[in-house]
Amino acid sequence: MSTPKAIVSSFVEKAPPGEACLRSYHIKTLTASRPNLVNELGPAFKKYNEEQFRTVLLPGSSQHVILSSYNSLGDGRYYDVESSSSFAFDHTTQKPSAVQSHVLESAQADLIKSTLKGLSAYVKEHFANGAYGAYPIENDSKVAIIIVANKYSPSNFWNGRWRSLYIFDPSSNSLDGSIKVDVHYYEDGNVRLLTNKAVSASLSSVTGAGIAKDIATGEKKYQEELNRSFTSLSEGAFKALRRQLPVTRQKIEWDKVAGYRLGQDIGGGGAARR
Amino acid sequence: MASGDPYDAALDLLRRLNPKHVAEHVDNIITLVPELAEDLLSSVDQPLTLRRCKQTGRDYLLCDYNRDGDSYRSPWSNQFDPPLDEAGLGGVGAGGNSAGAGGGAVPSERVRKMEMKLNEAFDVYRELYFEGGVSSVYMWNLDDGFAGVVLLKKASGPNDGSSSGVWDSIHVFEASERGRTSNYRLTSTVLLSLATKGASLGEVDLSGNMTRQVEYDLPVENDESHIVNVGRMVEDMELSMRNLLQEVYFGKAKDVVGDLRSIGSLSEGQRDRDAQRELIGSMRR
Repeated sequence: MSTPKAIVSSFVEKAPPGEACLRSYHIKTLTASRPNLVNELGPAFKKYNEEQFRTVLLPGSSQHVILSSYNSLGDGRYYDVESSSSFAFDHTTQKPSAVQSHVLESAQADLIKSTLKGLSAYVKEHFANGAYGAYPIENDSKVAIIIVANKYSPSNFWNGRWRSLYIFDPSSNSLDGSIKVDVHYYEDGNVRLLTNKAVSASLSSVTGAGIAKDIATGEKKYQEELNRSFTSLSEGAFKALRRQLPVTRQKIEWDKVAGYRLGQDIGGGGAARR
Repeated sequence: MASGDPYDAALDLLRRLNPKHVAEHVDNIITLVPELAEDLLSSVDQPLTLRRCKQTGRDYLLCDYNRDGDSYRSPWSNQFDPPLDEAGLGGVGAGGNSAGAGGGAVPSERVRKMEMKLNEAFDVYRELYFEGGVSSVYMWNLDDGFAGVVLLKKASGPNDGSSSGVWDSIHVFEASERGRTSNYRLTSTVLLSLATKGASLGEVDLSGNMTRQVEYDLPVENDESHIVNVGRMVEDMELSMRNLLQEVYFGKAKDVVGDLRSIGSLSEGQRDRDAQRELIGSMRR
């Protein structure tokens, strides 16, 4: 049996895009017998923020920076390469603070900076609310690249998130990662689109521009594939569940339905009504 | 959201958590607040499960409206499985007047007759619209009329390539009899879960539920009229919900993805819009 803390933590971690602010109300109401539980949820909020690549607007800046395990400095601090800054983030209050200068020191610094330049152009051209980052990981041996775009439209009852993560390995020129889309629609109901696409590519050109171009090409291809899947699901699985109208193209004559019998009479009855 | 009612908070939370795993979320909330168990289990629509009727060999769907303790009533045989104690079955009249859920309620003779006819009618409906699946109708008496639930379930396996889907519809209706007319209130929920995967697509899951309500005053001559009225009401509702689901699942979802990421270049799109505006402006001049 799960403990209350584990259950509430799982609710925190499963929040849909754009709804993080509502969590503490639910938690307080549903764990009234344990009012202090809300104070124990820091790790769950941290996990959610880092997995979902939460974006943060630093004081005095107009560009969103990303939270992830890849740019974590430990002790609740994160850094951003483009703005050469680091900051503390309180996962419970969801607020950044204590911004400091942070200069990237990495053997991959040139590649990271040219990748960011390429990403900047790509993200601006294709994401209305995009943020991106590139960080050295695993003792400077690899580079983590993140793109995240959120669009929240609560007045129209939907929120959405696109996030991609790529790990570039300079020793093999491989780019591996995943693209995930999460859409929540909640007018008169609760509908969720969740996608996950693994990406694995071998690059010919190991430049920042080449990496950004490969990402751009792959994401375009994926979005086109995803759009086709909506059509094929609609024409395939959805139609196979329930027809819009019976084969006869006519609604049921309910005053005669008691006379229909299952089996051969359905076909016969349908033909007769045509 | 200022009120601290745990039931409202639970429903509000369930409207946000992934609807595909609603059963798991309900279990978790009940673990947190055990007092909510009865309310949540009777009001939160979950994917339907089925059982085979021991008397007739036909499948029927399980819900709170045909449940008594751990037993469920088959609409085909009117028998509970596992059978209830003699004492439990004794109160047909009194139990039949209860407001429905649980309680070993068996409808009165008149309402059971309508229930049998509606089961037969929706079995035909199911075959014509779903070409498979399972349907069940359960009814109960109300002080000024009767009420019922029409259940339909169909699953399509991964047979067209790698896509699969499950459709559950739950139509709860209440009829207040007023002489030559009846007032019908219908609350319909469809739970629809679709999934597909492929090498270049990865995994896609589209799951959710939508609820709609309608109310009608319709003329009634006899009990046959109720069959016709309920049938038409549910048929019209399912048609409009199917259209709504199609729009939300495939149109809306695709639009939102397009709002997140634009396939075309945003600046080119902006240039095109500016050029168009300029053109329209110059034509006006």
